[in-house]
Amino acid sequence: MATVTLKSFTGLRQSSTEQTNFVSHVPSSLSLPQRRSSLRVTASRATPKLSNRKLRVAVIGGGPAGGAAAETLAQGGIETILIERKMDNCKPCGGAIPLCMVGEFNLPLDIIDRRVTKMKMISPSNIAVDIGRTLKEHEYIGMVRREVLDAYLRERAEKSGATVINGLFLKMDHPENWDSPYTLHYTEYDGKTGATGTKKTMEVDAVIGADGANSRVAKSIDAGDYDYAIAFQERIRIPDEKMTYYEDLAEMYVGDDVSPDFYGWVFPKCDHVAVGTGTVTHKGDIKKFQLATRNRAKDKILGGKIIRVEAHPIPEHPRPRRLSKRVALVGDAAGYVTKCSGEGIYFAAKSGRMCAEAIVEGSQNGKKMIDEGDLRKYLEKWDKTYLPTYRVLDVLQKVFYRSNPAREAFVEMCADEYVQKMTFDSYLYKRVAPGSPLEDIKLAVNTIGSLVRANALRREIEKLSV
Amino acid sequence: MSISMALFSPPISSSLQNPNLIPKVSSSLLSTKRFSLISVPRASSDNGTTSPVVEIPKPAAVAVEEVPVKSPAESSSASDNGAVGGEETDLGTAATVIKFEDAKWVNGTWDLKQFEKNGKTDWDSVIVSEAKRRKWLEDNPETTSNDEPVLFDTSIIPWWAWMKRYHLPEAELLNGRAAMIGFFMAYFVDRLTGVGLVDQMGNLFCKTLLFVAVAGVLFIRKNEDLDKLKDLFDETTLYDKQWQAAWKEPDSSTVSSKK
Repeated sequence: MATVTLKSFTGLRQSSTEQTNFVSHVPSSLSLPQRRSSLRVTASRATPKLSNRKLRVAVIGGGPAGGAAAETLAQGGIETILIERKMDNCKPCGGAIPLCMVGEFNLPLDIIDRRVTKMKMISPSNIAVDIGRTLKEHEYIGMVRREVLDAYLRERAEKSGATVINGLFLKMDHPENWDSPYTLHYTEYDGKTGATGTKKTMEVDAVIGADGANSRVAKSIDAGDYDYAIAFQERIRIPDEKMTYYEDLAEMYVGDDVSPDFYGWVFPKCDHVAVGTGTVTHKGDIKKFQLATRNRAKDKILGGKIIRVEAHPIPEHPRPRRLSKRVALVGDAAGYVTKCSGEGIYFAAKSGRMCAEAIVEGSQNGKKMIDEGDLRKYLEKWDKTYLPTYRVLDVLQKVFYRSNPAREAFVEMCADEYVQKMTFDSYLYKRVAPGSPLEDIKLAVNTIGSLVRANALRREIEKLSV
Repeated sequence: MSISMALFSPPISSSLQNPNLIPKVSSSLLSTKRFSLISVPRASSDNGTTSPVVEIPKPAAVAVEEVPVKSPAESSSASDNGAVGGEETDLGTAATVIKFEDAKWVNGTWDLKQFEKNGKTDWDSVIVSEAKRRKWLEDNPETTSNDEPVLFDTSIIPWWAWMKRYHLPEAELLNGRAAMIGFFMAYFVDRLTGVGLVDQMGNLFCKTLLFVAVAGVLFIRKNEDLDKLKDLFDETTLYDKQWQAAWKEPDSSTVSSKK
């Protein structure tokens, strides 16, 4: 077998048996494009086989996206290095995962602290609606602690063969040629907290940026900026008798006092509740919004102690560039958080997996070099699968989080059984379910009715203020 | 956090100062916030974050880093260890707050029997009462309570009550405008071209003008509506544009970071 090294590549890849069917079709390189277009093209450009090594990919960031990506890469036979800056990081997070994530990622049931099966939506005028009646016995929203989930996924990646390094990514040098390696500069901590760490470099063929909302990988590939929301959360330990109310129930508060463009929440965690809110447009007032959220839930969290205060940016939409040559962004770094619900964990893990799958496929299990075309396939697949979901949630946010009347209408609509069924189906299983047309028409009429009534009441309110 | 300390530090004494302090502070906070929705948010002295927006995530993320160093230690030790100081903040015991109260608001909903006029429910006053309640709550947000849940649903008010109160007056207004515009447009077109009203209706251009006039009257009712419609249109297409941005970039080596 000819040893074709990276630099001296001159023709088709020749060594794998599945391509021998068109090795014979090689009269000249000119006729190649026409013939290759009729065959399944596994790379957009004839990439060479890596002679004496496997493809090396670095995953920067060890959250759900990074962990899932590293596991899939390692299982696909690629030399994977996962770089995480803080192994015991408690990322500030709502911590809700949909049911499908448990199945798709084979999560053990003991990392789920609570199963939320009931939700309460509370309107600006405190009209409370219970949702969750339509859930079946086995359906729930899982509440997890991020430190537990992230550690579990990283451990699984390590067991599959990935190398996990405790270090902080600093910057990367871009390659000069299309097949030269990326040089990553990072500080290795080696498990010692508080130490300054040693500066190191590493050469890899491709990089997956899974380092979250303030991604450095995104900065180094000029991915562009996005609008982001600030999510502010306080963890409150409340007395046991109040905790039983939140046993399997989460609350969502909407209103101008709580957030002008998002919602306030009370989510139960392992032994405490997380009370928080978020906003895009009025970040400076986040503390006022948090006070208002606590005020609205006051009766139910009275006597509680705040054990932790945390905040984090949440992307509102994807960055303009989600990949560049052999670097791709996944998860929060790419901006895959949905509107309306602000859900990000599942999409982070799924995008990490999808990107890794594209790399595994494009490199034929680590045997070949990849190029941008292989990574673009991941973007295509992602957009095709999930863009409808993102669009629907964006429309919901635009229509129902606009103003107090819209929020009142929203809460009124949530009382409807069909709405609940559709909402939970699409949330738990991540598919935009079609539903029956007659019910859809009824729903449309009811929505318009609710909106009209709520806006009419607003006009009445304005008349009273004058 | 200083605000929370002030508001929720244990008011064990049921002194008059504390309960009255809370609603006043909250209403002043909220009234400034309401105006901030229209104008630029004012950095009030209550609010600790006065730095420009971009810097907020970094300090917040940095501040959070220091907290976890202390919190595992203190949450593992019994929570009655008050020596830690500012880290654990008590939410305090109950304080009396002004709540929405109305004779006709019974058990979390409007008692329709109290709204009867001449033997029939006076829906207009139900609507006005609900509006008053919502206005009150916007200015003085209340806590939700499991003991006194709010159960009122606006759909109990029949559709014709809404129609009579809101749709008909506005429809009258818009029809009046359309009629006036129609009359004068018909007159001027007749003056300028000599085409009478009946012949105008047969002409495509005139029919288009009529359509534009009706649509204009429906959608543009105030001067601000023109800008609002344009913004609405931009808004509907913005999210899609943000997603498609990944596909628009040509492969070029010189890339500037842009939104």
